[in-house]
Amino acid sequence: MIEIVDAGPFNTIQDLGRPGYRNIGVTASGAMDPLALKIANLLVGNDEGDAAIEVQTFPFRLRFREATVFAVTGGGDATLDGVALPPWWMQTAGAGQCLELRPSPSARAYIAFGGGVDVPPVMGSRSTSLRGAFGGIDGRFLKKDDTLRLGEPAGTLPVDGLGAVPPAKALAAFFPNAPDGTLLIRALPAGEHDLFGADAERFWSQSWKISSQSDRTGYRLSGEPVRAPASVEMRSYGIVPGVVQVPPGGEPIVQMSDANTAGGYPKIAGVVEADLWRLGQARIGSRLRFVRSSHAEARTLDRALADYVEDVRNTSQMVARALKTIAGR
Amino acid sequence: MSAVDFSDPATIAFLAAALQAAGVDGIEIEQPARKVRIVVERDAPGAAPLVQTLQTSPGATQLEAVTAPMAGIFDANHPDSPAPSSEPPREVGAGETLGFIRVGSVLLPVKASRPGMLTGRVAKDGAVVGYGDPLFEIELRP
Repeated sequence: MIEIVDAGPFNTIQDLGRPGYRNIGVTASGAMDPLALKIANLLVGNDEGDAAIEVQTFPFRLRFREATVFAVTGGGDATLDGVALPPWWMQTAGAGQCLELRPSPSARAYIAFGGGVDVPPVMGSRSTSLRGAFGGIDGRFLKKDDTLRLGEPAGTLPVDGLGAVPPAKALAAFFPNAPDGTLLIRALPAGEHDLFGADAERFWSQSWKISSQSDRTGYRLSGEPVRAPASVEMRSYGIVPGVVQVPPGGEPIVQMSDANTAGGYPKIAGVVEADLWRLGQARIGSRLRFVRSSHAEARTLDRALADYVEDVRNTSQMVARALKTIAGR
Repeated sequence: MSAVDFSDPATIAFLAAALQAAGVDGIEIEQPARKVRIVVERDAPGAAPLVQTLQTSPGATQLEAVTAPMAGIFDANHPDSPAPSSEPPREVGAGETLGFIRVGSVLLPVKASRPGMLTGRVAKDGAVVGYGDPLFEIELRP
């Protein structure tokens, strides 16, 4: 059992979401940085898709009611009873210890616990749908004095302190940033791209600022507007995270984890899935540029991510077994 | 603590050459009153070996080596840490993380087992180390 000691709004329970119900209008939800969620779970010996806490409003504090294996990944500067933890780190907390997360350059932190957060699954997922008001704890964000039950730890690693090399470092060759720190986001031109005529080029060439009207539903970008020469009338179509739409104002919207299931604005591009975790960690006010990608590159990035996840899964278990053997001598 | 050159340079040279020929990184020889440690620079064959004589006679300050918990690549800093950790000598607490061993994409902490004064770093950042290899030296508080 854990107890929320201090929490701002919009911190929720998330897993990998419920993607199979968009046809009946149910938003998929799920972690904004699914990679960080998976690694946090693997570090505590869970299945990669178990439910964890997504923290996007800092500071955030919780107390452990009993000895608990936990991991913090993604953003957030974590301390356990005031002692700093390295980033992307697993540790065992004692009963009564307090975990505090303060803001870091990355937008969202994930806290996984051995056994996962035990809330009732809704349509196959424990993810909180804030707009649908279901999932997680009664479909709402976590607040002070909430208590969370944890599941039975399955294969908890018998080590005290273990981390993953953060993906931004381990996969630096696959996920570059511009020298000035602008996030480079790979995307493919989408259905209505060519209707924007000459303006379409400016969509790719300029750097966009993530505006304050950005949340788990989508990021509104600000910059020099891109407009189609003639107005584009469309029927509604299905939407998934990563779809970049351009409303009449000309400033694009990138759909994120709580994306609507359908929409009618013309879509200029689609962010490749392998770059969505980086978008999920981009902070309001930061800048990004879209880089024209290819299906082949998108597949290469998918494989690089999958290899990294597999390496963390296999190596953490191998290391834990070796340490157990050494300790038993 | 006294870290002085071993008394007979010829003996050291002979031992160092033997270690290098055998592909061994280092050796510790314990005698009743002292301990001699020779660490060979594997990547720089011509370089002089690191030689330390550690006095262990009663009354002297006790030195403890912090060793690698596992084979891997040593680094005193976390890959995400922009600032290098402060160099020795400095006070360290029991359980304090002094560095990391990287195995693939996984990091293991190197921790001080007891409080004391961190007096030396034996392994260099990026060095491949084996289980039990000395990484740091701590002068234990009496």
